[in-house]
Amino acid sequence: MIAGIVQFQQMMMWALDTAAGVALLLLLLVRKNYRVYPAFTFYISVNIAFAASLFIVYRHWGFSSLVSWRIGWATQAVTVCARGWAVIEISRRFLSRYPGIWALAQRVLLTCGGVVLLYSGMAVRHQWKLSLPTVDRALELAIAAVLVVLFLFARFYDLGPERTDRSLALGLCLYSCFRVLNDTISDRYLYHYATIWNLLGMLAFFASSLLWIWALRKSQPERAAEEKLLPLGVYQSFAPQINLRLQLLNDQVNRILSSEGPRH
Amino acid sequence: MSLSLILFFGSVAVLLLGLGWALWKPRERKNRERDPRWLEERDQRHTNYLPQIRQALAAADYDFLSKKASRRTQRRVRRERLNVTMAYLGALRRDFENLLRMARAIAVLSPEVAVAHEFERLRLTAEFAWRFQTIRWRLLTGLTPLVQLAGLSDLVSGLSVRLEQAMKELGERAAAAAELASSMNRRGMGTV
Repeated sequence: MIAGIVQFQQMMMWALDTAAGVALLLLLLVRKNYRVYPAFTFYISVNIAFAASLFIVYRHWGFSSLVSWRIGWATQAVTVCARGWAVIEISRRFLSRYPGIWALAQRVLLTCGGVVLLYSGMAVRHQWKLSLPTVDRALELAIAAVLVVLFLFARFYDLGPERTDRSLALGLCLYSCFRVLNDTISDRYLYHYATIWNLLGMLAFFASSLLWIWALRKSQPERAAEEKLLPLGVYQSFAPQINLRLQLLNDQVNRILSSEGPRH
Repeated sequence: MSLSLILFFGSVAVLLLGLGWALWKPRERKNRERDPRWLEERDQRHTNYLPQIRQALAAADYDFLSKKASRRTQRRVRRERLNVTMAYLGALRRDFENLLRMARAIAVLSPEVAVAHEFERLRLTAEFAWRFQTIRWRLLTGLTPLVQLAGLSDLVSGLSVRLEQAMKELGERAAAAAELASSMNRRGMGTV
């Protein structure tokens, strides 16, 4: 009885997820936002296509068969890559108006992604049977970390990214965070919690889809307004001077901190 | 609970905290963003009233009061001196933030930035924030005697005046550079 209810909930959630994905894809097409976000459109299309194909696969071969397992992970690999591409696209939209900062950000984001992948690899016990969830989790964590660093970059430099880009990035980041937790739980308690975590995973995707639908409800301009840049010499002459003055201020505060005096 | 479970849940918690912090904008920051005159409208009260601040922090005053005035008066003076010191630290922080904002504005509008300079600034910002908060808490909890600051006021005032001049000069030069870039764009010449 309970198993039946859970299965029904899963089916409902799956239908809702697919409906939200289709609505999102339609919105991207109708509002012509696919021109602005080709990678994101590709990611959503891939998601819908794989959801439909997995439905057929599971019905035909069953949820626990080896064929379903292989197809499931193959589609997941493509989906994560598509999400990675969408993240690159959004990062570019966030910062490419500022060429200097964008060049710096590319290096920082790549390094950050690499370090997180390394960390994820080192943080687990290596077992062949868990290698796919391990790789998946590493990629998801790297995606989430890159997006968080992107947001931190925008804050540090007082940049105001487009509201739509911000919402898309936020949805991708939250979903990737959830996937990391999902993979970690599945790793340890696969058989006990698989059903509930599948359900929560679908719920997380649904929430992200709603956020993206809201963000893409209007057409987006294809190119953001170009910033007028300063001549190169301005940065080269001012940056060291400003850093020196910041250092002086820091020294003053340090003196306050380290000075000794009689207590009153 | 396994180590990997802790590590990954911890990582996600750190990421979510980072995300929350990056998205959170205090009211002061919002107001500042709306005001395009941030460069000119700098709070200069601390430099205008530096002699008074120095006076308020003078150790001789406190020594005199501790001998002559009642405990109640001493307490009141101590509270007022604390307020003055906090305001003084706040002014120092504003100086720092204004410089930082100018550096960011220049970096954002530059066709190239140097990684070394940007990381140096990040390090200085983190260092300043840490020290500022440490002093603030030490003052509030009474761990740092106010008299420690008195001897430093000369140094800081000198620095603040120099900073005022530097900021003004930097502002003028940045505005001139922006104007130059804009006029070059109007004439169809590339600036980069």
